[in-house]
Amino acid sequence: MTDVPLLRARGITKAFSGIMAVQHVDAVVAEGERVGLIGPNGAGKTTFFNCLLGVIPTDQGVVEIDGVDVSGLPVHHRSKRGIGRTFQRIELFAEATVREHLLIAERTRRADGRLWKDLIGRGRPTVDEIERCDRILELLGLVELAEQPSEHLSLGQGRLLEVGRALMTEPRLLLLDEPSSGLDHEETVDLARTLRDAQADRGFAVLLVEHDVEFVADFTDRCLVLDAGKLIAEGPTGQVLASDAVREAYLGTAGAAS
Amino acid sequence: MLLGASAGSDLLRALIQGTPAGTVYALLALGLVLTYKTSGVFNLALGAQAYVSAALYFQARVTWGWGIVPSLLVSVFLLAPAIGWVLERFVFRHLRTASAVAKLVVTIGLAVALPALFDLVVGFQSIAGQTPVGIVPGGATVFYDPFGVYALSRNELTAVAVAALAMAGLAGLFRYTTVGLHMRAVVESPRMTELNGIRADRVSSFSWALSSFFAGLAGVLIAPRFNTLAAPDFFNLVVIAVAAAAIGMLVSLPRTLAGGLGLGLLIAVFQTFLPRWSDSWPWLNTVRQNITPAMPFVVLFAVLVFWPAIRRSRAASDPLAGVDPPPPALASLSRSRGLTVATRAFAVVFLTITGLTVFFRADASWTFVVTQAVILSLIFLSITVITGLAGEISLCQGTFAAVGAFASFQLVNHMGMSVLVAALVGAVIASAVGALLSLPVLRLGGIWLSIATLAFAYFFDSVMVKFSWVGGGQKALEEGTRLPRPTLGPFNMNDNRTFLVLSIVLLVVVAFAVVRIREGTIGQTLRALRGSELGAQSIGISPARARVTAFAISAFIAGLGGALLAIHQQNVNYSSNFSPFASLFWLVLVVSLGARTVEGAMQAGAAFGLFDAVLLKGAIFGWILRSPERIPSFFPLSPTWTYVLFGLGALQFARHPEGLVESGKRRSTEKVEQWWAARHQGVEPAEQAAEPAEPGVIS
Ligand SMILES: Nc1ncnc2c1ncn2[C@@H]1O[C@H](COP(=O)(O)OP(=O)(O)OP(=O)(O)O)[C@@H](O)[C@H]1O
Ligand SMILES: [Mg+2]
Repeated sequence: MTDVPLLRARGITKAFSGIMAVQHVDAVVAEGERVGLIGPNGAGKTTFFNCLLGVIPTDQGVVEIDGVDVSGLPVHHRSKRGIGRTFQRIELFAEATVREHLLIAERTRRADGRLWKDLIGRGRPTVDEIERCDRILELLGLVELAEQPSEHLSLGQGRLLEVGRALMTEPRLLLLDEPSSGLDHEETVDLARTLRDAQADRGFAVLLVEHDVEFVADFTDRCLVLDAGKLIAEGPTGQVLASDAVREAYLGTAGAAS
Repeated sequence: MLLGASAGSDLLRALIQGTPAGTVYALLALGLVLTYKTSGVFNLALGAQAYVSAALYFQARVTWGWGIVPSLLVSVFLLAPAIGWVLERFVFRHLRTASAVAKLVVTIGLAVALPALFDLVVGFQSIAGQTPVGIVPGGATVFYDPFGVYALSRNELTAVAVAALAMAGLAGLFRYTTVGLHMRAVVESPRMTELNGIRADRVSSFSWALSSFFAGLAGVLIAPRFNTLAAPDFFNLVVIAVAAAAIGMLVSLPRTLAGGLGLGLLIAVFQTFLPRWSDSWPWLNTVRQNITPAMPFVVLFAVLVFWPAIRRSRAASDPLAGVDPPPPALASLSRSRGLTVATRAFAVVFLTITGLTVFFRADASWTFVVTQAVILSLIFLSITVITGLAGEISLCQGTFAAVGAFASFQLVNHMGMSVLVAALVGAVIASAVGALLSLPVLRLGGIWLSIATLAFAYFFDSVMVKFSWVGGGQKALEEGTRLPRPTLGPFNMNDNRTFLVLSIVLLVVVAFAVVRIREGTIGQTLRALRGSELGAQSIGISPARARVTAFAISAFIAGLGGALLAIHQQNVNYSSNFSPFASLFWLVLVVSLGARTVEGAMQAGAAFGLFDAVLLKGAIFGWILRSPERIPSFFPLSPTWTYVLFGLGALQFARHPEGLVESGKRRSTEKVEQWWAARHQGVEPAEQAAEPAEPGVIS
């Protein structure tokens, strides 16, 4: 009990006009841990993420960060407490360059945007901020693209940028929503490698939603399985992926498809 | 206690009295919902459409002396559906994928342009005090009193009957005809259409024609209630319809109908009972005097802010969202470096030359006009902040400006404050009002936010201004809302040129501040939010906080400009400067020229201030031909042209959200660049392609 986990969700429940998207799901993620969250299409994985972050209000359940109940807090407060995320359908800032994405995240993290600072011309990025931004660009291999507007990025690059943007806020937990969807095999391998490097470098915890089994098996130590909104299995990734229940619910369909 | 013994019959009387208006509101509201559901357009021009039919009917009956039937046929059965059809076919069909807010701006442009265009084409002039005629003989003179409590005029009875008939017709159409069935399918679920292969184009053409027909009918039916046939009254009608539609949540036709009827009744009930309540509570008196006109706005505002379902419908505010690809962002403003530099250089040169010319050569009236343009540019920078940076369409910028103007008027006259200090304090007060307003309104987002600001503008217009601590009350009616020009050290601003210099200095300072804000943290934060609200929140940006800041800054600028304008005219001149309609027109003007840049605001200011004097009065020909006598005789043109031109200019907004001038410039920059590239590749050896690309960039 002395050991308070970074994130604890208890009994998360969410229904959309009758459809139970998520039912009584519990999850715990410890500092620095890499956890997978898998399940067939429509299992409620994205909805679960949205509940964790407060993007949509939950019907029931409690989310705790560092043992503090954050259930009533809006999204930006939760992200300030150290939870970053990426999106299944990417959510980049139109009209902004790659570097600007990172700079605005950095500026928000520092929370020193004041009207008077803008007015006296101190709203521009500082040397320090640019340095931090360059480090992330390097980490993710986006240096050449720094001045590109986000509209010009490929999907894979866009996903990396989302990761970078989240990393700028120095998250202690990163929620990744299907980072490989829409990417081909090679791109996925690249992305997985980059993510692993970044995680090793920064030591943040990860909760990864992913259909690519190889990716999950490789990257995570522990794994949760959702099916039709219910948590049907949990345990070390290798075991979970091998279990019959999971094969039936999930790999059965995915296996047939691939 | 408050209701006396006769309360029962009073209530009955109020209900009877409210029914005619209620049915007509319901008719309009249905028209609004029809187009909204079938094409995602929230048609604020519906009132203008109603006006056009009513005015044509009036013109035909009274001026041309036609009979009732031909007048009705032409105005309601021909013109009205034709307008709807044309609007759909040539404007809105091409905007299917535009964002809901962009479509809203287009309809605002139409609301401004349509009545003006009609007046010009038909040569219609409303005659003050001449009550519009109804559609039955003896409409205003024959009365019926079925229950012995209130006598309905024949006009009113006809309105109820015809409106009820039209609604029954709609119900029948939905039930028994194919196109009606299809329409209902679309209204109930826009997704269905695409899936079932229903021809969406045909359905939406038909809906537009029908909606416009309803509007025309409503216009003709309600016209006899007004003393004078004037476009603004009809715009008010559409606000009522919006309130009714909001009660129907923009989805349910029966609830919309009930909403319209209910509003009519509610207004009548208040009219009946408020006088008694205000005997008990005297402060209600001012409210009472203005409650009738203000009622719809109060209801609309209350519905928007307190009805939880509207807030939840936020995500679903565009019914076509699931059908079409996601709309493009409101505007992209990635200018090339060269274009920025060229623009700035050109602006400096142009402003310097104009400034010097005006300063040394112009007479008093030209100085006045140019000063006006400068101050309006300053006010328009407030739209650059709220619309250009924050991406919100606010329809109450004129109200913020009025708050600044009235506040400085009060401070100077009652507290003896120095004028310039008062203008600053006025701006701060406006800023506080803006921030306060934004708190409830921001949760709405998108289209509803714009509608709520519109409701606020009308509320201020019909209630707040009447309070003596705002608008000066009776005394102001007699003496005007006077404000003196300031004296600043050795500079006496009673001299128009000195005041012009002051205005320019303030404009430059504010423009500079806006650029700084745009490039600083606040601007970047707002840009992130505009780009992706989800993404912005995920990195810890608080949308509410950023937008409240934007509202406060924008209202500050508007308030400062409003105060300055009042000082310039030495009078607040509320109704000619700051009416809700002015807010609409400002918005239309700025977005059609370019809401994203400081330059766009200045062009809009120049257009607003100078268009009339330079183009419509033909002064420009006088300059070109070097003699005022040689101005062609068809000048001066009617100032109404301004509304037509800029209203129609707003049609471009959905396709060129960055503004007409900006998009023109970008296109020519691209052309120059292409030409340059072609020249350099094609004629590589011959190195004489050294002509500067600059002229093309500037044009
Ligand atoms: N906003 C919404 N409104 C209504 N239903 C929704 C909404 N969002 C999700 N759902 C439904 O909830 C269920 C869970 O959806 P969710 O997107 O969470 O699944 P997922 O596991 O992320 O699936 P995928 O692997 O396809 O991303 C689905 O049946 C979906 O249709
Ligand atoms: Mg998902």
